[in-house]
Amino acid sequence: MQTDESSGEAEVPGGALRPLHPNQIWVLRVRTLIFILVLLGAALAADAGPLRESELAAGLVPGLVALLGLAATIALPRRRYRAWGYREDEEEIHIRHGLVVRIRTIVPFGRVQHIDLAQGPLERPFGLFTLILHTAGTRGSSVRLPGLAQGEAEAMRDRIRARIRQDLV
Amino acid sequence: MTDDDSVRRRLHPATLVSRWLRIIPQMLAAGIAAGAGMAKQGFGGILLFAAIAGLAGIAIALLVWWRFTYTIGANEIVIEKGVLSRQRRVIPFDRVQDIAIEQRLLARLFGTAKVKIETGGSAADEGTLDMIALADAGQLRDIIRRGKTPAAAAGGEAAESEAPELVLFEMGFGRLLYSGLFNFSLVFLAAIVAVLQYLEQLGLADWEELVTVEQAGEAAGLVGVQTTLVLILLVLLLGMVAGVARTVARDFGFRLTRSGASHDEGMASSPRGLRRRRGLFTLSEVVIPLRRTQAALIESGPVARQLGWYRLSFQTLGADRKDGGVQLAAPFARIEELLPILAEAGFPAPPPRAAFHGVPRRALVARTLPWLALSLVAAIVAIAVAPPAGIGAAILLALALGSVLRWRKHAYLVGDQALFVSRGFLTRRLWIIPHERTQVIIASRGPVQRGLGLATLLVDTAGASPMRAPEIVDLDGRDAEALADRLLDLFRHARAVIRLQSRPISSPTP
Repeated sequence: MQTDESSGEAEVPGGALRPLHPNQIWVLRVRTLIFILVLLGAALAADAGPLRESELAAGLVPGLVALLGLAATIALPRRRYRAWGYREDEEEIHIRHGLVVRIRTIVPFGRVQHIDLAQGPLERPFGLFTLILHTAGTRGSSVRLPGLAQGEAEAMRDRIRARIRQDLV
Repeated sequence: MTDDDSVRRRLHPATLVSRWLRIIPQMLAAGIAAGAGMAKQGFGGILLFAAIAGLAGIAIALLVWWRFTYTIGANEIVIEKGVLSRQRRVIPFDRVQDIAIEQRLLARLFGTAKVKIETGGSAADEGTLDMIALADAGQLRDIIRRGKTPAAAAGGEAAESEAPELVLFEMGFGRLLYSGLFNFSLVFLAAIVAVLQYLEQLGLADWEELVTVEQAGEAAGLVGVQTTLVLILLVLLLGMVAGVARTVARDFGFRLTRSGASHDEGMASSPRGLRRRRGLFTLSEVVIPLRRTQAALIESGPVARQLGWYRLSFQTLGADRKDGGVQLAAPFARIEELLPILAEAGFPAPPPRAAFHGVPRRALVARTLPWLALSLVAAIVAIAVAPPAGIGAAILLALALGSVLRWRKHAYLVGDQALFVSRGFLTRRLWIIPHERTQVIIASRGPVQRGLGLATLLVDTAGASPMRAPEIVDLDGRDAEALADRLLDLFRHARAVIRLQSRPISSPTP
């Protein structure tokens, strides 16, 4: 499909990877924020309860959590977003993701058993969908590609479905 | 469904006997417990409760049996079951991965068998007929494998006449005993402990009373070095005997044959498969359809390998995940004996060891250095502070050594037809993954690997074990990327060849 030579993406030869929809950064931000808030809640509870007897200054632990959480919410989502990339080729899809462990997945369309389009509560306000490809593999039994706009996600699903049907003939 | 062929059938009546034998003692025990629980009733009351419970057991088993029916249709088998909530399951023949026929001791007395139809779905108990007459079981298997009912297949000549099957592998009694020696097992020790614990729970024995601390100390003092040695020898001997006994019971009369017609490649002939028979008390028979095999695995333990013995299994979707998701094809064989089986199954023979590629030396930095560093820390602690930490240091050092040995034995090779991956130092495993079986290709790089420019590559297949995956760990990062692309090309090519081959038969598409 895409024949442009990649320069920056030495990882996946044969063409550059497409980024996810920019709104996905916001999904990731909100998700990180929620996680931090839960952590903060636990820290506040600990501060009011078990930690009161300790020598730590009151508010130290929640303060640290809040500070680190703020930094994480600012810094992490953008980097995690950038770690994602995908390319839909003639016969397979390449997906790259992961910040700590970088993973590249290749799913041949002929191997897809069925396709899901999912939309979580956090994705809904941003109009994004997650494409899930199910295969008969073990570790690759469900391969997710989040952060797709509705039109793109549906078009992709239809294209992949058409190719599965071709492969069956 | 009102075809003449599709008659509702029930399980063999002997099923009732075997179920009663299982359920009645339980029900009687429950009845006795319930009767005894009510203090007012005397002995008669207990008897009454036991009788009611026993009768209930008989009735329930009868009801379950009555409500379980199966129908063999033209292209599928339909199983209907359930006393209160009914369940109707349709298993199309072409979705069946493999079929197992098992005869326990009781079933052998009645001439019946349990048929397990595996479809590769997630449910553990997908299509089990426990039990039907042995002859019916064989017929059912033939029908399923041919994908047609006898009526439909009758057009062809009597294809089901048991043509002399090609024996691919057989084990004589001598070799069976010998192979048992390598299955050394200390399971019996666990069994003894379990029995003692059970007795304790019942209040029949009490550890604390049986052996007090003083007595134990006294005993330890009395037992000399010689006695200890004798005891250890005895345990080892028992372990060996237990291993041999288990192996004989499981693999007695092991026979792997080729089933399915190979000479007449007509469409009605059943697809080729490997048929495995084994068992002393419980006879089992499994047919592995060859077009369903996903990968081959050659394994051998440290001692057996030195003596040139290997075991061969095939990964299928239907295989039990408990057994690592593989079907055993030969438990104890020479490489020369395995090659014809592999060839029969359409797998390429493993190339000589020298042709394989290892992974770069710097992989050791990732795998060995952490253990070495920890070992050093433990050693320092042992010298400076606490001598017992020396044991930890030794263990960590052994782990470091183990990682070096594993690294040395880790190798891979991309052949024309398949990917070969070899892993493991003590138990060595060699996977043969035909390119056309690739499901997903996954390359991953952890933080340490990225620092060293390494990557791990996995070719995922259907039914692959999640624990023992044929990963190529710590490849050079650039090699991994190139290899992923090459494997993808080989997969595409293999699939294209298959499509070309199948086209003239299935549908004359332009």
